[in-house]
Amino acid sequence: MKPLKIVLSLSITLLLVWSLNKSWVVGGNRIPPLGKFLDPFHGFWQNMEPNDHKLPQQLNIPGLKEPVTLVFDSILIPHVFAQNEEDLYLAQGYVTAMHRLWQMEFQTHAAAGRVSELIGAGKDDAVLNYDKGQRRLGMVFAAEHAFKRMEGDPVANMVAFKYAEGINAYIQSLSYKDFPLEYKLMDYAPEEWTPLKSALLLRSMAQTLNMGDKDVQMTNALALFGKEMVDLLYPDLEPMGAPIVDRTNRWDFEPVKINDIPPALPAELIAISNLTTPDPNIGSNNWAISGSKTKTGTPILCNDPHLNITLPSIWYAIQLQTPTVNAMGVSLPGAPGVIIGFNDSIAWGVTNAQRDLVDWYKITFENSRKEKYELDGEWKETRKVVEKITVRDQAVVYDTVVFTHWGPVPYDESYRAENNRMHYAFRWIAHDESEELLTFYKLNRAKNYNDYMKALDHYSSPAQNFVFASVTGDIAMRIQGKFPVRRKGEGKFVLDGSKSASGPQAYIPFQHNVMDKNPERGFVSSANQYPADATYPYYINAVSYEAYRNRRINTILRESSAITVTDMMNLQNDNYSIKAEEVLPFLLDHLDAAALSDSEKYGHQVLKAWDYYYHADAEGAAYFEAWWTNLFPMIWDEIRNDQLSLSYPTAWNTINLMKTKPDLEFYDRKDTPEIETLTDLIRQSFSMAVEDIMEWKEKNKAADKIRWADYKDTYIEHLTRTEAFGFHVQHGGHANAVNASSRKHGPSWRMVVSVEKDGPKAFATYPGGQSGNPGSLHYSSMLEHWSNGKYFKLLFLQKPEDAGKQSFFSTTLNPK
Amino acid sequence: MKFITKIIFIILLAWVAEIYLPWWSIAAAAAVGGFLLKSKANFLAGFLAIAVLWLVKALLIDMSAAVPLADKVSKVLLVNSKALLMLVTALLGGLVGGFGALTGSLLRGK
Repeated sequence: MKPLKIVLSLSITLLLVWSLNKSWVVGGNRIPPLGKFLDPFHGFWQNMEPNDHKLPQQLNIPGLKEPVTLVFDSILIPHVFAQNEEDLYLAQGYVTAMHRLWQMEFQTHAAAGRVSELIGAGKDDAVLNYDKGQRRLGMVFAAEHAFKRMEGDPVANMVAFKYAEGINAYIQSLSYKDFPLEYKLMDYAPEEWTPLKSALLLRSMAQTLNMGDKDVQMTNALALFGKEMVDLLYPDLEPMGAPIVDRTNRWDFEPVKINDIPPALPAELIAISNLTTPDPNIGSNNWAISGSKTKTGTPILCNDPHLNITLPSIWYAIQLQTPTVNAMGVSLPGAPGVIIGFNDSIAWGVTNAQRDLVDWYKITFENSRKEKYELDGEWKETRKVVEKITVRDQAVVYDTVVFTHWGPVPYDESYRAENNRMHYAFRWIAHDESEELLTFYKLNRAKNYNDYMKALDHYSSPAQNFVFASVTGDIAMRIQGKFPVRRKGEGKFVLDGSKSASGPQAYIPFQHNVMDKNPERGFVSSANQYPADATYPYYINAVSYEAYRNRRINTILRESSAITVTDMMNLQNDNYSIKAEEVLPFLLDHLDAAALSDSEKYGHQVLKAWDYYYHADAEGAAYFEAWWTNLFPMIWDEIRNDQLSLSYPTAWNTINLMKTKPDLEFYDRKDTPEIETLTDLIRQSFSMAVEDIMEWKEKNKAADKIRWADYKDTYIEHLTRTEAFGFHVQHGGHANAVNASSRKHGPSWRMVVSVEKDGPKAFATYPGGQSGNPGSLHYSSMLEHWSNGKYFKLLFLQKPEDAGKQSFFSTTLNPK
Repeated sequence: MKFITKIIFIILLAWVAEIYLPWWSIAAAAAVGGFLLKSKANFLAGFLAIAVLWLVKALLIDMSAAVPLADKVSKVLLVNSKALLMLVTALLGGLVGGFGALTGSLLRGK
């Protein structure tokens, strides 16, 4: 009996260990390996940091030439003091990985279409299809081109490879116990970092900002509604205010001429469903004020880039110093250098430049094998790339992507276009080689306007509005990117891919890009509005231009003088909506006050009293939002289509049409037998809005007064969408206000820099914190300031000792 | 007394093992304890030793934690309570320790 007992007991022990050392999928959810994960000596408990969590005073890092000092301040911003450039970027990679390793790896996996590898194919293959989409849009193809240039340039090469070396030094120092929490939860391990991943990360940012287009949607609109209606609904330029650079007819250069025959208009309907158009509410603000308008007499520069706000935070703040550079600001975890920030002499910031940088070319394949396609009357060979997609717990999936010289053909019989017999090649400006790393390298070291201009000459995509201010008193704005010279109307619809002449014939020389230096009005600003008026000698077009924030910013700046840093903080947190001001009185005029129910009467009163500020406690804001979100799709019900992708007109143009075209055929609701007028829609949507509000109140057990912050419910979500790692925040603001905080989007970094002679004074905050670890105090240590509109004064050091009491701790990295 | 000695021995051995080895070293530590020291109720000794070790370690970490991460993880694992999560931690560690100690004692023979 005894041997049997031994075998039995041993087997149970081994089985227990085995099953607790393995992650299981139960009911579609992955549970971590419980023994490994719950072991307090190695598992998630080890990710729980004490309040005063510090690094050892000395660390030995392979690859360093000389010691590097890291000073961490009270909000855990590292101030990196290196003695040479190689060590600087190695240390940046090391310290960034220390706080953000999981995030930087996950984001690059997501960019490259490798998420299935980590979490499986997902419900209805949603994750797998996402991965296929990333590969079919040529994300890796784009990153490889960026990497090629990076590798070939001695400076970019050094920066990217040293940064990677630092990340890898950190990865190699880890055992399971030290892994970021997410690795433990999802049960996988970090892999080696490569400079290609930095390229992927930058391209992923370009995808967020510049891959948006609506060519297919517009082509469908053309087929359904006709040219005249398309021009009415989707004008190229909405004359709503001032462009970023206002210099009518003062373009002192001879534009590049190409043939100006407009491309033929397509006549097809394209059956690809659910193509998304970028949210017109995503954008950013930046501005710089000349010393003539500030209290100190030196410029102030402000920037708040708006993004999908997630955790771990999008940005990682850092100061980088060697004898040749001293820059501070925010970096993107995964990319070396400072992206938005300042140094001893200058400050700079970015907003997204709205511009059409995507084209779709109609392809005629020789036959279903897709080995050849028609080009200029001949059959040109395609290139087929077999994508190997590793799917967790499943067999490998292979997906063939057909490439033409235009770019990949993303949608075909096997991906999202089952009913569509036409094919379109996808051309994205960021597929091309480019060298953005050099721009940031040079901006970090720039001393003056000329240096800034030279730095931007390396920049192609994603096109940005670069704002600038210098201690010598210059302010500037330059819209920088690689832009094709377009014929009128080109790029608005799909193009004929059988003629090479349909492609870009030339690119706008960088010196012809829209730019401005020290304008008379004493400030430069951008908020994703149109770059220049119609006198700019090149045709420009975009998915949409911002219509409201830019006017509010310009109005305030124009009216202000003796501006202080506090004034600028207030402006960044300004909740006023010009959209509400422009449409709400019009809507209210259409109500029949006598015919309202009691709850509608209350709503009517609240709206009449509302001052158009989206403050956290504004009740009118909630009513207006409910009204607009009911009215807008009701007007454009003809534009909703399950089979075809279509795009809504902008809010600005919708309001414009409501006011100027009272008889537009779109006002009639297709789902009712009656013929509705605009007044009917306004009244119906008002009733529906009040119903929505009543329902919301009931569901949320709200007292009689509804708060905008509750109704909006700003939610900062962890990248894995794990509810427990996210935060619901009480915060005012609206996409159309300068404080462009909507439910999940908003200012991802708020920075105000006073560029003063005795050194920059910088103030900033972001919705999260420096650490990516949900078990760290610094996972969200800046969040409260962010939601309260407060700022941290950034500690900008000349030498480590200057930190004094403001140093939380410091660590020396020694060569190993 | 032997029972208590065994528990303490396993705790110490598992504690040292966890410094150098992965989590499953607790099974080996418990087995060594079961093999070297003679007592009654071997399973219970191993179970209590590891359960106490894990529970105390988890409590100590939690006491100085800056952020209530255990609460958050308890939500992710759908147990929805830090106390329950600690109990599950102790229980799973205990089971492995218990069977480890039992196996060790059986190997020792009489």
